[in-house]
Parts: sequence; structure tokens; C-alpha cells
Amino acid sequence: MKFKTLAAWVLGLMVTVSGVAHADRLDDIKKAGVLRVATFDSNPPFGFVDPKSNHIVGLDVDYAKAIADRLGVKLELQPTNPANRIPFLTSQKVDLVLANFTITDERAKQVDFSIPYFSSGQQFLAKKGVLKSPEQLDNLRVGADKGTTNEITLREKFPKATIVAYDDTPFAFAALRTGNVQAITQDGPKLVALLANVPDKQNYEIPPFTISNDYMGVGIPKGETRLTAFVNDTLKGLEADGSAAKIYDRWFGPQSKAPLPRLFKIGDKT
Amino acid sequence: MQAWLAPKYLMWLWQGFGVTVWLAFTTALAATAAGFVLAIARNARLGAVRGAAAAYVVAFRNTPLLVQLFFWYFGAATLLPDSVMQWLNAPHAVQLAVFSVRWPSFEFVAGWVGLTCYSTAFIAEEFRAGLRGVPAAQHHAAAALGLTPLQAFRFVVLPQAVRISIPPLFGQYMNIVKNSSLTMAIGLAELSYASRQVETETFKTFAAFGIATVLYIGAVAVIEATAHTVTHARARSFARR
Repeated sequence: MKFKTLAAWVLGLMVTVSGVAHADRLDDIKKAGVLRVATFDSNPPFGFVDPKSNHIVGLDVDYAKAIADRLGVKLELQPTNPANRIPFLTSQKVDLVLANFTITDERAKQVDFSIPYFSSGQQFLAKKGVLKSPEQLDNLRVGADKGTTNEITLREKFPKATIVAYDDTPFAFAALRTGNVQAITQDGPKLVALLANVPDKQNYEIPPFTISNDYMGVGIPKGETRLTAFVNDTLKGLEADGSAAKIYDRWFGPQSKAPLPRLFKIGDKT
Repeated sequence: MQAWLAPKYLMWLWQGFGVTVWLAFTTALAATAAGFVLAIARNARLGAVRGAAAAYVVAFRNTPLLVQLFFWYFGAATLLPDSVMQWLNAPHAVQLAVFSVRWPSFEFVAGWVGLTCYSTAFIAEEFRAGLRGVPAAQHHAAAALGLTPLQAFRFVVLPQAVRISIPPLFGQYMNIVKNSSLTMAIGLAELSYASRQVETETFKTFAAFGIATVLYIGAVAVIEATAHTVTHARARSFARR
């Protein structure tokens, strides 16, 4: 009995080890006919529950669907929160994570990432016609939120810009309205959301450039080279046939709730 | 954990301290002058002047300083024409011999105006208390000696009133130093602002706020020492008479 248990352990260990060595999740997925993907369920527009259909929808979900379609398998969504994304992958509960997953060196130690399919960057909000190119920032007074990385990045990249830090974004925007600063800086999606609620929004614009970028990629279990290659090829294919632009436009296009120009295309950064 | 801040961050704190000291100093000067005038206005013969002075004290002493600062920075700014705002927010420099005198940022101007208006009300009350602290018999005695009311005020009442007012006046100067920290809310890069900025970049919370605290204590201690010296010097000069 004892020996049997030990044997089972050894066998199990061998299977696990060999499983790591010859990992092939891609074949497993195809065999199972199901692609399990972790997405957010409360982070619009990346992944959230649509109140009409009660299904999880969003930009990440659209990409997950596209990958499943390319594989020819069914898509199974697993709602997640930010903290669970890596554990879901390492414990093999899901095959992929598409949940606004920013690529960082720290995370890349535990999971693999595809090429980026979305980028959110630090952008600016200014009165129309004031700010055309990043070089102008050196001569402007720019409002930022106290204690954010935005403030630090701006100071590092444009040391000559006059930075005035406010307690939060509404204060910074008030300073922009009264003319105390000529531009304010924040992450692009946040500026869009801010601008959406402004009564005289036609007087303001978000110039189409970023000064720093976060890249979001698909999280893939460590060492799954064939699966990674497949995801990368699929993403490139989506960009090539225009599906990626369509997915973007559905959530960030001119007709969407939060219009944001598409500055990043899949394949711009690998 | 590296315990100490890099020189760059110490420089930030030091520059912030410079702004705090300069703001407090210019505010103290202006508020003392304005407070003196206001205290006299409160004893004016004209009822309207008295009423206006009393209304000023009520308005500025009974509203939070933070709200007043927001009013000057955000509120008053919307009342000014665009061209004025542009001028206020653009850098200006005047060349005076070797020195280049720079027009301060709008944050500084708004902070200075706000802090001055606020402190003036308190300082005026300290002066008024000083003036009222001089017994009526002193006025009468001066009149009996044949001094005109102006002479009586200048040579008899005022020296005694100033002596009474000096200790609380220095207390107000300390308050100005401490209140200046509120200007960080309107984006003035003074000591509190700098300490928060250093904390954000270095995550050395204790060092950043600790140094700021020590610098504030230092500034207030200097004021206290000055107050001590001034009152004792005056006491000695009175004793010699």
C-alpha cells in the first residue's frame, strides 16, 4: 500500500515533469474543444457584464472570441479580478488571460505574454489648437495629479515643462478651464471619460500622441511556445484583415461612449 | 532599506522650504501693514469705515483658509479676462543690475493674496486688542499734557499698544508659516508639496515628511526666538527710561 502510494506519487511527478517538458496546451485545447479564457467582468469596456444580455462582453472578450474561432473551438469565459489573473494561469484553471493585462517584466517571470494587442498611454487634454506635438510641452504649464506616475514620467521626459500638481483630476481640469495650466495629463482612457462629462467639450481636445505606454498582451502559461505562436499569429491576422480595427472601433471608436483615437496597432511593438 | 534621501530630493525639499519662507515672509509684511490699517479703521470716527472694517474681519476670519485659497486661485481667475490670465501665467523677468527679478507664478500670487487677506484679519484683531489694552487714563493724561490726539496716539498710546501686541503678533507669524502649507492645494510648490512629491517618487515616507516637519519646526523656532529677543530688548529699553 505504502509502496503503491509512493509509486503513484513518482508516476504523478513524472507525468507532471514530462507535462512541463513537452507542454502542449494547444493540442489539449483542440482535443477538449474548449478554450478557457479569464476576462474581467466589471471593467468596461475591456470586460463587463452587459446588463441587457447578462453576458460578459468587451474588447478583451472580442479578442478571446476571435482566438477561439480561429482555433475552431468553443469559448468558455472565466470571470477574474486583477489579483487572480496569474494564479488562474499557473494553476491551469484557464488557458489564456485576456483581462487588460499589462505586460511587465515582473509578470513575465511567471507567465508568458503574446505580442501586445492594446496600448493605453499617458496623454494630454488641452484647449483646441494649443498642443500639437510633444515638443511643445517644454514651454507649457501642465497640470497633473499629485502622486501619480504621470507626474513622474512627465518630469523625466520633459524637464523644462512647468508641472503643477493638483489633488485630483477634477482640480487639474478646473485649473485648465481657468487658464492656470495649458494642458493636463492622465491616461488616455481616463481623459476620454473626463471629457465625456464636460458641457463645452467641443472646446477641448486630446492631441493624438502619447508620452508613455502600457502594453496589454494575452497571458499564456509559461513555456507554451506553440500556443504563444498561435496567439501571436492570430493577433497579427486580425490586424491584417481589419478585424482588430473593427473590434477597437466597437469600444473606442467615434460612435462609442469613450471615443479615443487608435494610436497603436498590433505588431507596432513585439 | 536605504535610509536617506538622494541629494536631488533634498534639493526639492530645500527649494520648497525656500518658497514657504518667502511666502510666509512676504505675507507677514503685507498682513502686518494691512492689519495695522484695518485696526485703526476699526476705531475710525466714520461709522461706515468702522462697519466695513468689522465686516472684513468677519468675512475673512470666519471662512476656512482653504476655501479662500480656492476662491483666489480658481474663482477669481474666472472673473479676470483671458489676456490678464495669460499674462499672469506667463513668466516675466525684470533685469535690475545684476539681479533678475522674476514675476512669481500665479500659484504664488494667488497663495500670497489668499494668505495675506486671511492673516490680515487676525493681525488686525491683535492690534486692536493692543490698542484697547492701553488704559483710557493714558489718553486723558496725554490730553492733559496738551498733546494733540495724533501726538497722543503716536507717542503715548501706540508704543504701549505695540508692546502688548508683539507676543500674539509673533504667534500669528507662526500661524502664517503653518497655514502656508495649505497652498499646496492650489499647486504652489512649497515645503508640504515638495515633501509629498518626494514621498511619491522615493516611497521614503518617514524621511520625506520627517524632514519637512523639522524644517517647519526650525522656521517656527526662529520666529519664536525673534519674538523673545524683541520683547526682551523692548523691556530693557523701557527699563532704562
